[in-house]
Formats: sequence, structure tokens, C-alpha cells
Amino acid sequence: MFPFRRIKPEFRNQIYLVMFSLLMLLGLVNFFIVSKIMQDAMIEENKNRAVSIGINLSARLVEPVLTMDYFSMKKLVDETVRLSDDIYYTFVLDQNDNPVIHSFQNGFPVQLVHVNTVQKNKTFAQQYLNTGKHLVYDYALPIIVDANRIGTLRIGLLTTRVEKATRRIMIIALFSTILTILIAALAGFLLFRPMTRNINRLHNSAEQVMRGNLEIQSAPLLNKNCWDIMECSQKKCPAYHNIHQRCWYTAGTLCKTCAEGDYAKKISSCQQCKVYKTCAGNEIQSLAESFDYMILSLRDHLAELNLAKEDVSKQKTLLQTILDGLPDFVSLQNKNAEYISINQAFCTMTGKTQHDILGKTARDMFDFPHGSTYLKEDIKVLETGKPFVMETTGMDTSGKKWLHVVKSPILKETGAVSGLVSSGRDISDNKIIHEQLCQAQKMESVGQLAAGVAHEINTPLGIILGYAQILQQDVEQNSQTFQDLKLIEKHSKICSRIVSDLLRFSRRIQSTITQFDIHNSLNDVLSMIEHTYGLEHVILEKKYDADMPFVKGDEEKIKQVFINLFNNAFDAIGKNGKIGIETSLDSNTDSIVITISDTGSGILLKHLNKLFDPFFTTKGVGKGTGLGLSVTFGIIEEHGGKIKVESRQSMEELPWAYGEYNTVFIITLPISKNNELK
Amino acid sequence: MKNNNFIFSYFLISLCLCFNLACSRDDRPIKVDLNETMHIKPKIEQNIITYAYLPQYSHTTSYKRHHQIVKYLREQTGLNIKQVFPDTFDQHMAMVGNGKVDISFSNPFIYVKLADQFNASAFARIVTIQDQEKFRGQIICRENNKNIKTLEDCRGKTWIAVDKTSAGGYLFPLGLFYSNGIYQKDFKEIAFAPGPGAKQEKVVFAVHAGKYDIGTIREGTLNVVANRIKTSDIRVIANTPLYPGWVYATRKNLDTNIIDQIKTALLALDFNKKEDRPVLEAADFIKVISSEDQEFNPIRKLAAELTVRK
Repeated sequence: MFPFRRIKPEFRNQIYLVMFSLLMLLGLVNFFIVSKIMQDAMIEENKNRAVSIGINLSARLVEPVLTMDYFSMKKLVDETVRLSDDIYYTFVLDQNDNPVIHSFQNGFPVQLVHVNTVQKNKTFAQQYLNTGKHLVYDYALPIIVDANRIGTLRIGLLTTRVEKATRRIMIIALFSTILTILIAALAGFLLFRPMTRNINRLHNSAEQVMRGNLEIQSAPLLNKNCWDIMECSQKKCPAYHNIHQRCWYTAGTLCKTCAEGDYAKKISSCQQCKVYKTCAGNEIQSLAESFDYMILSLRDHLAELNLAKEDVSKQKTLLQTILDGLPDFVSLQNKNAEYISINQAFCTMTGKTQHDILGKTARDMFDFPHGSTYLKEDIKVLETGKPFVMETTGMDTSGKKWLHVVKSPILKETGAVSGLVSSGRDISDNKIIHEQLCQAQKMESVGQLAAGVAHEINTPLGIILGYAQILQQDVEQNSQTFQDLKLIEKHSKICSRIVSDLLRFSRRIQSTITQFDIHNSLNDVLSMIEHTYGLEHVILEKKYDADMPFVKGDEEKIKQVFINLFNNAFDAIGKNGKIGIETSLDSNTDSIVITISDTGSGILLKHLNKLFDPFFTTKGVGKGTGLGLSVTFGIIEEHGGKIKVESRQSMEELPWAYGEYNTVFIITLPISKNNELK
Repeated sequence: MKNNNFIFSYFLISLCLCFNLACSRDDRPIKVDLNETMHIKPKIEQNIITYAYLPQYSHTTSYKRHHQIVKYLREQTGLNIKQVFPDTFDQHMAMVGNGKVDISFSNPFIYVKLADQFNASAFARIVTIQDQEKFRGQIICRENNKNIKTLEDCRGKTWIAVDKTSAGGYLFPLGLFYSNGIYQKDFKEIAFAPGPGAKQEKVVFAVHAGKYDIGTIREGTLNVVANRIKTSDIRVIANTPLYPGWVYATRKNLDTNIIDQIKTALLALDFNKKEDRPVLEAADFIKVISSEDQEFNPIRKLAAELTVRK
């Protein structure tokens, strides 16, 4: 198979093709119609001729037939055949259609008698016969006298004459048709050539424009221009010697007859000008000139457009810079709630690029159910036209955030909502500060309360304890009273310790600031508890950093911190567990890190935030006051450090980095050389 | 798509043209075998009674005038009567003489000859359309011929007559001329109308054309040519005396039974009968009456006179 490629013909060739096809069609139609008419006319003329001959002959045959003058009849029929090349036969039938006389040489053909009969009241009848050798038009004419038919004349006319004439007519018609087509085609070619040339030029110009080349000239140059016709010498006129543009397309021409303004304003008056009347061409030339003018206008408009575009681009960059410079995220949505413009903060917040966001809705952007909720809010604003303000939480790439969101509708002049502008601000820090402030206020209130209560209780408690101890000396040691006094003393001491804790919590206990080795402090504490923990098979595993600087602070308070944390760990383990103690130096922050871990049951997520709140405890009644970790938190904070807790239970699906331990308290304390106690 | 439409239209039109061309032929010809031939022999019918009208006019006129009578007789008598067409008066007489004409309808002069020469016998004669049992000849000239006003003015003129044997067209007028002392030698020229047939009309045409000064015709001829020339251009100079009119005669030895049948049928023609009227009008008479040979003796007398003075 050959690969055929369809070639689209040029416009010029299409014109020629159409023109030639139409001429061919017209020629063919003419040829066939003329041929048909002439052929019919020829047949009709032949028929008329035959009928005419027949009428004459039948008239001449009247008397011979009446007298049965065979000689005259024979003479007449024979002469008729002899004198005409195309008369094949002639014969006469009597009233009963019996042949009387004929022109045949070899007997009369019987079948001819009944193939053609002329009806009564008809002047003749025609029949088309095929004798095997010839095609014959047979004509039957009555021989009539005084309205009485005395016989019938039959004439056979060969079609050869008609066929010859028809053939000749067809040939003449064919040649004349071909000649006419050729002449018309030539005339059409000469006529269409300038037109197609101009159209091609216009087409090429249009292609050049499509390719971005606006420096084109479609209209042909004129033989005479306006300055020639008007005999003008005004060189300042913009049309002067501007051969590429007609003066009626040029604004600001200086000719006296010209109206002011551009094409639209001046064309009416220009059409009356002799320059226009001389130079204006046909529609195609006009089209080309208009095209040139449009391209010129387009060029000017494009230049203006480029300037405007640059300006808009600058403005856009500026605006985007401003928007991107804002810490708040800003977005613009259309009436379908699709994002059409966003700033960098929005991208940062969502963790996506502009390309990913634009054209999408909030439901496409955010996880379920947040996305659906945001979209509902957007739609509500779009539908109601009322702004929407809320504080909400959201997740971004850095985790949970508190956001202050304002969604405002964009209203058209008609009042209809065309979109909405959303802005959101990260208020997570404010929230934390606010929470901390609340906590601090709460702690301060609790401390003041505790301090007040402790101060008021401490004196009577001292009296109770003192008197209980004095009374013990007055009673026997084995007596019930002594036992009761001991019990009073014991619980008074418990109360005293609680009061001390309260005072410590409220920082009313004086601190003794020294420089001390944290490892020594840890070891002192561990030596006290090691035996007791060992009884319950709780192993203490130490991992000290060898190069550990001193810490500046109240060593006793720090020890209290360790005791509290160890006790909590021990309580959480119960039996058979492990407590890890690890120290390290963080040279980046000039601080030491003490990590106390246990293999206890861990801490639930819901308890994690409240762990350092005073009086919060998960231990049973009488087992804990809920002040230990509050005091711990207070001491560490007092030393400028930080304490945080992590629990395997509250990590959910996040990876756990502390091996077998389930709860880890991490204390960070500044090293002494750089930090002062608050 | 547009190109396809164009090609489709072009194809459609071309197809129509081809269809038109295909349909432009005539109907299919009927096949005829010319090899099956026969030899034509003139049909000779038996028991025919031939009827001949003296060819004073063309055969066509003779046919027009008498074919209805022939048809009438055929229907009335049941005989196979056919009209025959002698070319000349002599032929007519000869055909009566040799038995080729059974019934002769002729002028009285011819009848006298037929009777005298061939024993033909008259059995009926006609009453003319003018209700005349007898007829006469007319001498005519052009209306605008100022030189001829009376018979005497005919001397030295050119004369065209119908035929030497024509009663109304020659013999009766000749008798009139004789009785007025004008003989053949007194005419510059005596011509006879060329035959065969239409001789009465030819005389009128020749005079009307100015070829001859005077002409002689049977009375009634002018009515015959009235639709072909303007008869007011012709003036009748004189009428001859009345003689017995045209006569039906039979050849000798014709069966009397046949004669009686024919005679009865002819006499039964009634101009007032609706079905007979066209027959009589075509024949240019209104009645047929019975006749006998002696009624034609005045003719014999005139003929004798003409012969003596010839």
C-alpha cells in the first residue's frame, strides 16, 4: 500500500477547481440539454417531413385508389422511395387493410401490415420499428375522401438520416461546449488571478501575524498616493509618503478636506474625497487595507498592553510580596469556593505549593472532617454574605496550631457575593502564653492559699506536736494514752510535712544556694532508697555522663525533686521493675539533662497535661497529696530549668525512643557558670 | 465536510444528467421480420354491379357525389354495387359498351350515344336541386369583361368548353350559338378543358383567370366552385334551353330484376327524409324519377343538327 497523504489545495486552486467544475457542469448540462432539444427537434422535423410527404402522397393517391389504378399507385410509391434516401418503403392498404401496392422489390412483408394502425379521427400514427437491419419510423396516414377512408398509406423512414444529423449535432455541441468551457476557464483564470493573488497575500500576512510578526504589508502599493493626487507637500502630515497605509486609515492627517479623529470618525468624509475615490479598491483590497490597519492598531495596542502588563506584573509582584510577607495566611476564593489566589503563609500552613492549591476547594485541601467543615463555612459565607470569625485548631506541618480565622465575602456593586477572602493568624503562641498565664495565676492563687493555710496551721500544729510530745513524757510508754499521743504526734508530723510541702510549693521556704555535683546529689538520694526499692525487686540503673559540670542551686530542693520522681517511679512500678537514671551534658544549650525513666504502667494521654497541677494525683486516697510533681515543677522552674514527661501510652503511634521504659521525666538544668538562680 | 458535500452534489448532478441522457432515447422499437413476404394479386370480385358517373368532374368529386348513393343502393338492394371511375367520356361509353359499367349516370347526349351505339336503356332521370327535371348550359365570361354583353359579342372571342361530348358544357351552348347564327368558325379559338376530370371546374377557372374570353358550363357548376373562387367575378351571358337532365341507364342485357331493384331504390329516395337528404344533397339532385328512352328524342334532334352543321 502506498501511503496517501491528503493535500489540502490552496485557495487559488480551490477557486479554479470550483470554477472549472461549475463550468464543466454547466457545459455538460448545456451540452445535454441542447443536444436533447436539437435531437428532439430533429426527430420532430423528420416526423413532420414524413407526415408531410405522407399527406401529399395520400392526396395524390386518392384517385388512383378510387380507380384502383395500380400503375399510378405503383409509380407514386416507387417514386417516393426513389426520391428520398431515407424513405425505406411505401405501401398502400385498402379499406380492409389488405395491401394493394408497395415499393418492396422482393414481395410484401406481411408483418408490416398490422404493426402500425392509425386511429379514426387521427391524421397519422407513428411506430418505431426494428427490421433487424434497420431502425425505421413507420408512419400510417389515412387516404380520405369526403370523410371516408378509402385506404391507408404507410411510409417507412430510416433513422439513419436522423442519427447522422444527431451525431453531427452532438459533435458540434460537444466541441462548442468544450470551446466555451476553455474560453470561460481562461477568462475566469484571468479574472480570478488578481483576486486570488490578493487573497493569498492576505493569507500569508495572516499567517505571519499568527507567528507573531506584525511587520506585514497586505495591501498592494498604489500607483498614485494622496500627496500625488492632492499635490500636497505637507511633510508633517502623517500620511505624507506613508506608502504602506491609506490616508483614510491615518489619524491626524493635515489635509483640509480631512475630518479630525481616527478611522471611525473620518471615514464618512473621506469617502467623498477624490483620494478615496481614486485609491479605494475592490472589497479584497479594502479587506487587505483594513487588515493592515487592524494589525497596525493591534501593534499599538499590544505595545500599550505590554506596558500595562509590565505594570500589572509589578503590582502583582508587589502585592504578592506584601501578602507573602504577612505572617497571616490569606486566600481568595471564587463563588464556587475554589482558591484563586493565596499567599506564601497559606502554602506553608498547608504544606503545599500554589500549583497544588489553586482551583481546589477546602475539602480537596484538608483532611476529613476538617476539609468538609471549612467548605461548609465557605459556602455559608458565600450564601449569606456575612463574615465569619472563629478560633480553631488545625494541624500544619509543625503540628497542632491555634488559628484565628476571618472569612469575609467579596460583594459586587449589585450586592451579590462574588467570592470570599479568608485570613488566618497563628495564635498558638498567644494561646500557650495565655494558658501559662492562667496556670501561673492558678498556681499563685493556690500558693497563696496554701501559704496562708500553712502559716495558720503551722503554729497550732506546732503546739499540738509540742504538747503531744510533752504529754508523752507524762504517761507511761505502754499505756493506751501514750499510744494515742504517739499517733497524734505521728499524724501531726504528717500534717507538718504537708504544710512544709505547701510552703515549699508556695516558695515560702528559704533556699540555700550552693554549687554542687549533681551526681553526688543523685547518689545521696539513691543510697537512701536503694535498699527499700531492692526489697521490691526494683532495680536502679545509672548512666552518668563522666564530664558533668557543677550545678548552682539549692541542693536539698534538687534532692527533693529526685526523691519525688523516684517515689513516683517506684509507685508506678510496684514490684519487679527498673528505674533508669541518666545524665548528660548539652553543650549547645549549656545545660545538663537528667533523665529518670521507669518501667511502670505509664501515663495516660489525658493525664499528661494535668500532671504538674497541684493536688492532681492518680494514686489512691491517703497515698498521695498531689503536690509532689507540682513542687518538683516549681523547684525546677525556680532553678531556671525545665521538666517534661513522656509516656509510651501517650505517644500513640509515634516511635518510642526509650526502649523498655514506659515513662520518662526529662529535667534540664542550666550549668552554674552561666546561669543564676531566679 | 464541505468538500464532501461539493463532491456529493457534483456526483448527484452528473448522475441526473446520465439518467437524463439514458432516458432521452425513444421507446424500444418493435421487431419486424421483413423476410416473411407475400405476393399481392389484384382482387377480382365476382358479382359486382358497377356504377359509373360520367367523369365531368374529378374522380374525387365523382366519388364525393355518388359514393353515398352507391352505398344507399348497396344497402337497399343487397347487391354488391361498386362505383368505378372512367377517366374520360369516351372511356365511360366504352365501358358501358363492353359491359364494365352496369349502371351509367350520364348526361343526355352521352346517353343518346350509349343508347344508339351500345343499346343502353334509360330507366330513371333526376330532378335537379333547383327542382328542375331538365337542365341547361350556361355561357359565362368575366364580370369585368366589358366587351361581351350579348351572344353576338362572343364572335371572334376565345371559347373554352368542357368536352366535345359534354351536354351542358358544350353541346347545349353550341346549339344556342347555332340558333343565333354563330358557328365554330366565328370564334377565335375553341378549346376544351384538359382531362381527366374536373373539366367543368377547369372551364370556370380558365375564364376566371382571363385565359379565355368565354366558357360554357353545365348549370350548377358555379355553385361547385363557389368555395374556391369568387363567383361574383363571373357573369352568365346566356342560358341554353332546358333539356332532359342526367339519366340513369343500364348496359344492354343487364338482369331486369337487378334493374328493377335499383330503379325502385332510386325512386324511393326522398329529399324530405332525414336519412336520404344527405345522399341527395351530395349527388346534387333532389329526386329520381322514372324515365324512358323516347324522352331523350329532343336531344337526339339537337345532336343531329349539330352533326349536320358541324
